Amino acid sequence: MANLLSPVFLKPLFGLLAALLVTPSIAETLLGDVSDDNGAPIADVVVTVMPTTDRLAVANSGKPVIVKLDQQSREFIPHVLPVRVGTPVIFPNSDDIQHHVYSFSSAKQFEIKLYTGTPAKPIVFDRPGVAALGCNIHDWMLSYVFVTDAPYFTKSDASGHWAVEVPPGEYRLSLWHPDASAPIALPNDTLRTPASAALRHTINIKARRQTGKPPETLQSQGYRDEF
Amino acid sequence: MKVSPSFLSAILFTLCSSLKLSVADSTFPEFTLHGLVDLRYQHTAAQPSWTDNGLGKFRSGGENNRFLINEGAVTLQTRLGWDWTGTVTAKYSDGQKNPLDLTEAFLQYRPVSTTPWRLGGRLGMFFPPISLENTGTAWSSPYTLTSSVINTWVGEELRTFGGEAHLSYQFDNGDSLGAFAAGLAHNDTTGSLLAWRGWSLHDYEATLNDRLALPENIGIGTHFPQQALMTKPFVEVDGRPGYYAGFNAEHAETIKFRTLFYDNQSNPETIANGQYAWHTQFLSTGLKVELPWQLTLVSQGINGRTRMGEKSAGKRAVDARFWAASLLLSKTIGTHRFSLRHDHFGIDENDFLPQDSNRENGQGWTANYNLTLAQRHQMNFEVTYLDSNRAARTNLNQSSKQEETLWQISYRLFF
Repeated sequence: MANLLSPVFLKPLFGLLAALLVTPSIAETLLGDVSDDNGAPIADVVVTVMPTTDRLAVANSGKPVIVKLDQQSREFIPHVLPVRVGTPVIFPNSDDIQHHVYSFSSAKQFEIKLYTGTPAKPIVFDRPGVAALGCNIHDWMLSYVFVTDAPYFTKSDASGHWAVEVPPGEYRLSLWHPDASAPIALPNDTLRTPASAALRHTINIKARRQTGKPPETLQSQGYRDEF
Repeated sequence: MKVSPSFLSAILFTLCSSLKLSVADSTFPEFTLHGLVDLRYQHTAAQPSWTDNGLGKFRSGGENNRFLINEGAVTLQTRLGWDWTGTVTAKYSDGQKNPLDLTEAFLQYRPVSTTPWRLGGRLGMFFPPISLENTGTAWSSPYTLTSSVINTWVGEELRTFGGEAHLSYQFDNGDSLGAFAAGLAHNDTTGSLLAWRGWSLHDYEATLNDRLALPENIGIGTHFPQQALMTKPFVEVDGRPGYYAGFNAEHAETIKFRTLFYDNQSNPETIANGQYAWHTQFLSTGLKVELPWQLTLVSQGINGRTRMGEKSAGKRAVDARFWAASLLLSKTIGTHRFSLRHDHFGIDENDFLPQDSNRENGQGWTANYNLTLAQRHQMNFEVTYLDSNRAARTNLNQSSKQEETLWQISYRLFF
């Protein structure tokens, strides 16, 4: 009869124990829903998750990933783009017309001429804050680049859902939306994983919002009423 | 002599970059075409129209029904470069003197700004920034077929021929404050229609070489025999430029406010080719508010004075003070729009020719329902009612007080 404590069994047993102790624990998922005062879901809400302790080193490693902010059908896609500080953003211009992207926000001031078929250099967003982007040729175009130094962040989808994976620990949550008065007050902004349930947030949103989409009718596109 | 490889590659690099720049630049000019076709069915119950040399305030008069091609217009926008655009609008309209003529033709300079300050300008022939309702292709309105009393007059007798500059400050939250000023010419006869025909209510914009009818048999020929039988809206009579200056404020997507003071600085004692110069000044104010529940409120007001002719005992031949105000409320439900507008207007005179009567007052209502399908097909159902009192009507054996009604069904195609 084999001895259970023989090296054949002990080695893998110790190995498994060691792996459990040394490897970072399984990631926890924080998730929730955002809606307005009438219960309607809100998309494009940026959720940032900041550890309450100083363990930022974990997510700081690695080269910044290049992120795309596209121009399609005379619209910026996406309308809200959350990125980490130091992220280069490229503007591919999928339209067959020129665009002239610019921003005068204090977070990033720049202008970039997007010729058709010629890729442009990426713009590095090197300061935390919000940059509102427009197009000098198409007045209605609007996009927000939300630059954060938080290690974890995500954005709510069309049904108001969001989910982000974080290591176990204690975190401070903050929410942002371009049409909500900042900062958004949260009742319990500190939470410890694992989260007991999906979080529910209600935000007060402006009635009239700039969507960044072209005017709805050809009649309104045919005349520029602005200076 | 040997050419170093690094020198060669430097030349090649410079050549390639400049080639790339010129190839990329050749994507300008970029053309955009917009336009409209406007078909109408009208039931009119009104006095003979001013367009037929009467004192009726609509474009059509009498008691009749008719079908017509009301307008066809095309706007060509040419993007010349990153900062410059050229815009030209040409139209055909029922009753227009020249079958095809221009309403606007101008260059626009709008450089990009990476600071909150924005500078821009326009040069050429364009509408002064007065109307807050005529925001559609070829100066059409998404709210109604018929312009307000103020905007009808802007369409008839006001156009900037000159240059306009604008400076604005943009706040982070989307608000903006701006100031603008323009120098202009070729607007010396503005005021003549107001003084002799009074306010009107329609959708016709005068064109570059247009001739507009003046009322007959009310004594214009008697008191002013040198005046031609029609007025030319966009001519220069005295060689003196005019100006307007104003400011605007916006709360992003919600509130738009605009005000300007206009003075064509005309010498009222000059006349050329049967056209008097009218010294016209006015203050115009407009406010547009986007309210909850898809409601829009547009309000405009104007207050001014027009003077013409020689002086006698401290008074001029024509000295009329004019004013008008409008309030429009509009609601959208999906692609349906309901609009209701109230107009109020008046003209007073203080000249030495009371026989050439300029006095009037009146008010009106316009109610419109429209539906837009596939972004381009628009059906309009509209009724316009006007109640006005103009003393000069007695010259035509009409009661000075008249009520006029216009029912319209329109199909408009926008492209």
